Amino acid sequence: MPTAAADPAEEAFAQLGMEVPLAQVDKELKKLWEADNAKTRASLINFAIYSEEVANLGRNNALLDGITAQHACRALMILSRPTDGEPRARAWINALCRPYHGQQTVCCEQLSFLLDGGGAAQVQNIVFAHLDSDLPLVVWWQGTLTRNFEERLSSRIATLIVDSATWANPCAEIDVLIDARERSGGKLDIRDLSWTRSHFVRLALAACFQDPIACASLPRIEEIAIRHAKGHRVAALLLGAWVAQRLGGQLDDRLPGFQFQRAAGGPNISVTLEEVPSGNALQSLSLKGKDMSAVISRDADSPYVHVCGSCGDHRQDEIFPADVETETELISEQLSRAGGTTLYSTMLPALRKMVGRAGCD
Amino acid sequence: MMENPFQETLFQRNRAEPCTVVIFGATGDLTHRKLIPAFYNIAACGDLPPQFKVVGFARRDKSDEVFRAELEAANRKHSRQGHNDELWATFAQGIHYHRSEFQDLEGYKSLKVQLDKYDQERGTAANRLFYLASAPEFFEPIMQLLREAGLNEGADGKWARVVCEKPFGKDFASARKLNDTVNATFDEADTYRIDHYLGKETAQNIMVLRFANALFEPNWNNRYIDHVQITCAENLGMEGGRGGYYDTAGALRDMVQNHLFQLLSLVAMEPPTDLSADSVRDEKVKVIRALRPLVGPEAVTQNVVRAQYCAGSVDGVQRVGYREEDRVNPESKTECYVALRLMIDTWRWQGVPFYIRVGKQLPKKATEISVHFKKPPQVPFATSKMLLNSENTLVIRIQPDEGIALRILCKQPGQALSVQQVKMDFHYSSSFGNASPEAYERLLLDAMAGDATLFARRDEVENAWKFIDEIQKAWHKSDNPPPMCEYPAGSWGPVEADNLLRADGREWRLL
Repeated sequence: MPTAAADPAEEAFAQLGMEVPLAQVDKELKKLWEADNAKTRASLINFAIYSEEVANLGRNNALLDGITAQHACRALMILSRPTDGEPRARAWINALCRPYHGQQTVCCEQLSFLLDGGGAAQVQNIVFAHLDSDLPLVVWWQGTLTRNFEERLSSRIATLIVDSATWANPCAEIDVLIDARERSGGKLDIRDLSWTRSHFVRLALAACFQDPIACASLPRIEEIAIRHAKGHRVAALLLGAWVAQRLGGQLDDRLPGFQFQRAAGGPNISVTLEEVPSGNALQSLSLKGKDMSAVISRDADSPYVHVCGSCGDHRQDEIFPADVETETELISEQLSRAGGTTLYSTMLPALRKMVGRAGCD
Repeated sequence: MMENPFQETLFQRNRAEPCTVVIFGATGDLTHRKLIPAFYNIAACGDLPPQFKVVGFARRDKSDEVFRAELEAANRKHSRQGHNDELWATFAQGIHYHRSEFQDLEGYKSLKVQLDKYDQERGTAANRLFYLASAPEFFEPIMQLLREAGLNEGADGKWARVVCEKPFGKDFASARKLNDTVNATFDEADTYRIDHYLGKETAQNIMVLRFANALFEPNWNNRYIDHVQITCAENLGMEGGRGGYYDTAGALRDMVQNHLFQLLSLVAMEPPTDLSADSVRDEKVKVIRALRPLVGPEAVTQNVVRAQYCAGSVDGVQRVGYREEDRVNPESKTECYVALRLMIDTWRWQGVPFYIRVGKQLPKKATEISVHFKKPPQVPFATSKMLLNSENTLVIRIQPDEGIALRILCKQPGQALSVQQVKMDFHYSSSFGNASPEAYERLLLDAMAGDATLFARRDEVENAWKFIDEIQKAWHKSDNPPPMCEYPAGSWGPVEADNLLRADGREWRLL
């Protein structure tokens, strides 16, 4: 009799610790702690990763290993497979431990769930039933927001992390985000890894214009040019929109391309993007205007970003740290920031316009 | 001047404008071990302002290149985030050396020429931060000559500030004289007195713990708190030749007047009206002013215990007594341990003693604050024995293993009603993965950004000295001075210090 083909998800989950009956996750976790040599359980947040791709399992597991080394949390890894059959859920538990002061072990709990069928309600129930009480819920939503991401779930999320670089239809996803934030009364804290990818550029730019001569040249800027790798157009658009807005520009709906009109008068600011096949997500940002220029660039694999500026005879040449672009580093950067940030959310309407103008997919 | 629009929404803290830091005593240990690694790490975090420069001012003859090479070697050894050649190469371009005697006006004039030249290269005048890392006896000539050379005022509307390292005098008179000297050259608002304890994460957390948690602040007074203990224990003695300085200072001057009084102020202060530097420091200085003075040998004998260690062992290693230590006077009357019972005469703290102890050659290194709450009424929990030594205690660990622990009482599982102490423990290092910046990084960045909250103000320093002077007077200038006690190295101090608390029906917390 032929044997059924092995389910790749089950095989992958088998690597994620001990399978336990869903109703007994807490009981089995307790046993795990009692049996283990772990001395300390640490938790500051509930950190959930929601995915719909089996292929992401190994990557997410490695990511959680890195994240829990930096951020004490209860980790929930959820793989949801939309099927037509009866809803089915299975659970695995594991302890992610680190030595501490050479003796004790500090451990975080990892709960992994395989969900078949069931849809949004099942995802919500699984998340709600397994939170470490009183701790905020941070969710990295790797799936499309147009499926399974519903109000009851989003209303419980303190911080929602997305990666717009992976979106097949950015317009639809941005619409969901804008809607979710409006429904939450502005409370939902949204973080986009594409936005985080530009963090080092923004820091270097801000530091560069701490120079008073450079700062005085800002009203002369007319061109913003951004070079980005394929797949990171949203990151480039976000950066361009932010720079133009900080310079007092509003996207001009009447003009083609990305033209920003300064509210206080002065030259318009044009934003242009150049896509290259590979390399760092964001590779350079150039600002040009009459008798001034500033270029922030990063060589492949360099941990630093170079800032080269000139205003007339005045020259500036500095280096600043560049964030590493691994997902672990990007997520870690997000989790390091206490409190909510509204900057990204306030830029969503402008981003939506720009993405729409560039073509929604 | 136009505001930098990119700063807004990006940074949660002030950013420094371009500046040049001049370090007096640049060839010394502090520059190599702390200051340069701190600036480098600020650069590694991307927080150093553009076109930043450091000028080392010292007597020895050396070139920029030699100075840079020495600092590079030190940075490789002491940098918190390691050493990156690419970053160092850029950072080191801004390091220069200026040879001069501290008492030579010409050296200051040529420094001004050098700084003006940097301004020309920048294309604009820059701010200047003068860091006094030299021996204290040079503070006065440095201040005077900075003034004479016209370096104490920022050119073209820029600022000029001074950072002073401790000791800020050795008594009230010398502190006032030093402060007069400094303030004759720099305004008090431009004077930054470094106390590195205030740069520690856990010291900064005291205000957050107290004022951001509704659980604690309503109970933070004499209705609920029985007493407070502040302990600063060191398991080292006079290694590395430190006996020379220490024997002229002693535990009271070296630690209590500055570091421990700063911690005391943070624990006992009233909530500030806002988080501006002066609002916070206004409240801190009120605590020092409200300390009940210990005047006369009798009051000092009753409330203060001083001691020296005799031979013993720490961690199984034999240690000699204090008077046998290298560079210590064999007839020394300097205390290397002191325990104090302090009362703060305010509405909030009436009747609550604050016990402070600091000492060398104690069993372990630890700086902690413990807040001991009053016991609840013992009804209905049967015998009073159950609740012996069992008050709720909140412990704030300053170093090492920074964190907070809360001791509470629980019922021990079983048929009988037994009460057991349990400890809820929070460790910074296991909860927050990111390493905290070194105290000097935070403080230098604040000085460059013009935030003086974590620096001691003149009145804090002088009022602290006034209090300390009375104790010193009783010890060294009275006919019947309080005794110098002894304790074996490796013990938790002299029996007399235990008796100080025992007389009040209390005991030192077991660390």
